[in-house]
Amino acid sequence: MRNSVNRPPTPDAVEDQEKEPTLQEIINIKMIESGEKEKLMELLRERLVECGWKDEMKALCRAYIKKKGTNNVTVDDLVHVITPKGRASIPDSIKTELLLRIRAFLASAAL
Amino acid sequence: MSAHSQLSSHFFEDLLDSIIVDVASECHRVARLGLDRNFEEEEEELRLSAQARARVADSSNNGETNSKYVVDIFGQTHPAVANEIFECMNCGRSIVAGRCFCSSLQGRKARLKVTRSATAAQNRYTRGSPGSSYSSYSNSTGMNRLSNGASSGVAGEEYSNGSFEEL
Repeated sequence: MRNSVNRPPTPDAVEDQEKEPTLQEIINIKMIESGEKEKLMELLRERLVECGWKDEMKALCRAYIKKKGTNNVTVDDLVHVITPKGRASIPDSIKTELLLRIRAFLASAAL
Repeated sequence: MSAHSQLSSHFFEDLLDSIIVDVASECHRVARLGLDRNFEEEEEELRLSAQARARVADSSNNGETNSKYVVDIFGQTHPAVANEIFECMNCGRSIVAGRCFCSSLQGRKARLKVTRSATAAQNRYTRGSPGSSYSSYSNSTGMNRLSNGASSGVAGEEYSNGSFEEL
């Protein structure tokens, strides 16, 4: 009989379920449960509409769709097209406002 | 960067990515359903109206040399052609609106055209010589007598685009 090949033991499925959630996951859960995440999302959406960022992104999407053809474009394509420009063109004031709100939440949640 | 700052940035980017996905899916839906056809037509209209405005502006600047009256896309003439007949309160003559050769204007003959900036004309007249009496035009409510002194404003729609000038 051949010697069995040395291989690591099969991970126990039960151990994965008992794995501790990360700090990020904990904060995310708290944000969702308290409704803060929804409020922050609405605030950010409102600010981005006011400053014309959304119109800019829509124009980029339209231009890409016009170039490629309506039937040849997926949502993923559009996301990949507008994400770099979208992240880079966020006004600093809006970013600062949101970051302050998030930090205030973190402080209030004693995290 | 502190842990809090890192976490804050992470959540901010998370929110932003969600909004980016929302915008992309909205645009995709609009394109697929063909709801953006009106937008293309509106863009074309905006482009054409901008061109027309540029043409009218150019025409009105060169109006004296090219032609006396330029017709715009709404069918209005520039400067406005004033065809109504009024009675001059100074000399009592019947004259065509837009022209008054009233001799009481300190011995000078002045040619008046109706203007959009009636206030400016009013100020000019009130600052002018006390002996002068300029004929001016009434508003579109149908006054047929010309009043001295300050003009009451633009006389009707056809005068809305003219200009007061004293030569």
